[in-house]
Amino acid sequence: MNAPIPILQQATERRQPLGFSLGRYLRSLDWILLGAVLALVTYGLFLLYSATHADTNISSPFYYVRSQAVGLVLGFVLLIIISLSDYRWVRRFRTYIYGANLLVLLLTLVIGSGSQEVGANRWIELPFFSLQTSELAKLLLVLSLAGVLSEGAELRHRFRFVLFTVIYVAMPSVLVFLQPDLGTALVFGAILITMLVIWGIRLPHLGILGAGTVIGAALLLRVFPALGLQVLKDYQLKRLTLFLNPDSDPTGFGYQLTQSKIAIGSGMFTGKGYLKGTQTHLNFLPAHHTDFIFAVLGEELGFLGAMLLLGLYLVVIWRCLRIARLSTDLYGRLIAAGVAGAILFQVFVNVGMTIGIMPVTGIPLPFVSFGSSALVVFLMAIGFLESIHVRSVAGQER
Amino acid sequence: MILEPARKRRPPEDESFVGIRVGVLLVIACVLFGVIAFRLWYLQVLSGDSYTAVAANNRLREVRVEAPRGVIYDRNGKILVDNRAGLTVGILPMAMFSPKKQPEQFAEEIRRLSEVLEVPEADLLAAYEKAKKDPYVTYPIKEDVPRETVVAYLKEHSDQFPGVQVEKAFVRRYPNKSLATHVLGYVGEISQTELGQQEFATLKMGAHVGKDGVERTYDSYLRGTDGWKTVEVDAAGRPKRFLDDVAPTPGANLVLTIDADLQQASEDAILEGIKRAHEQGFVNASGGAVVALDPRNGEIRALASFPDYDPSLWVGGMSKQKFSELTAPESHQPLFNRALNGLYPAGSTFKPFVAAVALNAGLVTPETIYDCSGKFSVAQQTWRDWLKQGHGPGIDLLTAIKESCDVYFYNLGNLLYQQEGPVLQDGLRQFGFGQKTGIDLPGETDKTRVPDKYWKREQGKSAEDKLWKPGDEINLAIGQGDLLVTPLQLAVALSAIANGGTLWVPRLGLRITDASGNVVHQFEPEQRAQLGIDRQILELIEEGMVLVTSEVGGTARIAFEGFAIPVAGKTGTAEKRPEDDYALFIAYAPADPVKEPEIVVVAIIEQGGHGSSVAAPVVRRVLEAYFHTQSGGTQIIPATE
Repeated sequence: MNAPIPILQQATERRQPLGFSLGRYLRSLDWILLGAVLALVTYGLFLLYSATHADTNISSPFYYVRSQAVGLVLGFVLLIIISLSDYRWVRRFRTYIYGANLLVLLLTLVIGSGSQEVGANRWIELPFFSLQTSELAKLLLVLSLAGVLSEGAELRHRFRFVLFTVIYVAMPSVLVFLQPDLGTALVFGAILITMLVIWGIRLPHLGILGAGTVIGAALLLRVFPALGLQVLKDYQLKRLTLFLNPDSDPTGFGYQLTQSKIAIGSGMFTGKGYLKGTQTHLNFLPAHHTDFIFAVLGEELGFLGAMLLLGLYLVVIWRCLRIARLSTDLYGRLIAAGVAGAILFQVFVNVGMTIGIMPVTGIPLPFVSFGSSALVVFLMAIGFLESIHVRSVAGQER
Repeated sequence: MILEPARKRRPPEDESFVGIRVGVLLVIACVLFGVIAFRLWYLQVLSGDSYTAVAANNRLREVRVEAPRGVIYDRNGKILVDNRAGLTVGILPMAMFSPKKQPEQFAEEIRRLSEVLEVPEADLLAAYEKAKKDPYVTYPIKEDVPRETVVAYLKEHSDQFPGVQVEKAFVRRYPNKSLATHVLGYVGEISQTELGQQEFATLKMGAHVGKDGVERTYDSYLRGTDGWKTVEVDAAGRPKRFLDDVAPTPGANLVLTIDADLQQASEDAILEGIKRAHEQGFVNASGGAVVALDPRNGEIRALASFPDYDPSLWVGGMSKQKFSELTAPESHQPLFNRALNGLYPAGSTFKPFVAAVALNAGLVTPETIYDCSGKFSVAQQTWRDWLKQGHGPGIDLLTAIKESCDVYFYNLGNLLYQQEGPVLQDGLRQFGFGQKTGIDLPGETDKTRVPDKYWKREQGKSAEDKLWKPGDEINLAIGQGDLLVTPLQLAVALSAIANGGTLWVPRLGLRITDASGNVVHQFEPEQRAQLGIDRQILELIEEGMVLVTSEVGGTARIAFEGFAIPVAGKTGTAEKRPEDDYALFIAYAPADPVKEPEIVVVAIIEQGGHGSSVAAPVVRRVLEAYFHTQSGGTQIIPATE
């Protein structure tokens, strides 16, 4: 059992010019990144257990934890497989990936299944699994956009090309937005901006994009509603502005925000103790296992627990950006940047929402919020980062 | 599985800036995380205490456990009011359908609830508005709901009634039905105004307090101290566990001076009196009152007013329909306590007091005589005696009282008018007329009146009207004119004659006892004043009043035929135009030089006709009950006055 794996050995002997060495692969992995991600998902499982074990509508206290753990195992298997493969091989399929992405999102709109929320179609039912396609779409977008940008490396001075990438991202964004899933659409935007920055976008171009974003937001939030044009649904508009004055809606989303702040605030410095959060277990805190899981953490483990989580995220983002710097090719660099941007944006917006400084957009906390699709996809993304890391370090070793 | 290193290509022109770009992103990440950390520090460390308080407030409900109210006993230990377990239906607004978000379901729930509880929808909506102020607290909407039908239905269909809860509560029980209802009063939910009063400072919304009668006067004793339970609830308001518990302290018991048997006899006597009045042709007779009190200390033995009502109607709040029934004109105001607040001319029952004042002022002596020809004239005005042919010549004071000779008292009135200053009025006020008696019941009237020239000057409309004329004083001398007294005032004033000159504060509270019967507080008799009238004068008055019931020609002799104990009494037939005459009788017994008088009884039958034939038998019946003597038969007593 402890002998080297024969198949791998055969493969290296037969096909690898440089020879595959398990030792070298293991040495080349970014263990800090892997360790931080492992710590995050474990932390997340414990929080998920605390948040859900007392729910009355589930058959076992481990119902959610078990489901999440299945995603975790699947995700880690995929992470390892991807980290072993060469990410550059993917680049040539960028157009197919992009097309598949659009197709899947389109399919979701047509045959997707809904949730409790008003008319939202977010899942495609697969055997044994229902896939939240917008989560997969994030990774597919990173992979395809990285391809496009690395191909267009010479076009940095052309604003038309920048504009093209904006439209390139806008297409899946609109499809996600129509689900409706405003949060993921915004994550796409964050991915684009991060990747453009690393890609080397010219500062004036960045300025124009920034101005365009501000104007677009103003149109969506103020001008269109004033003209009676319904781009954002009423509830979305309300949610977006509610965090400024949660007391204006003490029963709906405002109630969520208020209860979330109460939960976190009452956790104080060291928290009420694991499994002892009253806001969570007496159901004052809605969506405590998904979008508001950070409030469970804040209540039970306090400021210290929150700092630990944020510290782990910072390590992950730091390692992602480091990989972006280390990557020997632009494609890998852009993938790493996209992943880093998505994680940073999601953490900031999600935590910001629970503490009342960001609007309610329905963005989950990466690696921690309940949801197998998101977990698997983020672990796959880490797999790509490891693949990039392994190859850049291997290159340096030679 | 390719582990081939990436080919070293010539870096594109901007590759050198990668470090800077990555650095910028890292700085942005740190700044964003710093913002979060700063905000968390503010929420969790700087404002942590206040959020902790809010979280506690979220999940902890203090549920009031109402203390059972004290029992009210009569002086012999008979229960007048106690408690029984009842079920209260309440609403928890936050668990109900939202009137904004689910207007149809909300309206449907209110409609069904209204149907099941038989409470108008408008009342339920009003209750909801009140309850909404504290949406986490159950607000009672109907008390004492029958278990078998309504509560069972609510429980069976609980899915249709979210937020509707049934709780156990104590409600008042009246084992003797309407007995002494005006004395007892009733209990109800504390009102907004009461909540602001010092007396109820410790109480919260939803508490029950005495609203009238001794329930109100002795509320602080009867009420007890509510206990509370601390309950942890979830977001839907469902209790999860009890954290803390303080048992309620039951209220103390109240023992009244009332004798339930005598009270019953008094109430029966009024009914009989009304019946007798009807038989004598006074068909408008519909109400009456009896006051019986102990002249030795002011303790009230019976205080009856008719018509009465069932006090259990107040349990759980009186319905609007019942209330309008009770206040309809044809019901003759059953809620009104006539013994306490009925305003009447005293009629001839006033004569003993007028005589005492005149004797005390030295205006007449027992030997002073007036001739009675049946009429009396002064200043071109003529008054008639009730006895057309007159009582004859040489009427002295005793005879005047015995036969109720009006002409004698017209002369007294005329004499009193000629005095300097309000001799009569001052004397009458010494007996307590025109003032509150100070009884331990809420809402005693301040509308009683002993008219004098000042009152007339203020009240009169024309210059002529403002003048106090001989006629006013003469009318007052026979208890007519603008005089207004209550039965209770008459009883208190008569007590002062009976006991030799002490004016007591009449009292219903005897003592307070705890659950094991130990005396917690004893209420002592309270003297209001001494008459300052010579004892011999009072004895003379008594002599005259005894003649009323004992000697041939006495206006109540027939009514008291065969009564074994000497009784001092006085009849009265008060005129209150355009209504029929009011029948009055006042008496005390035993009226004998050796024994101390024990009981004073005052009776009035509204529009009952004659005091002698209608009111006097009522008093006799009460005195019989007091002395446990046998009834002297039910013969019809001819009118003498």
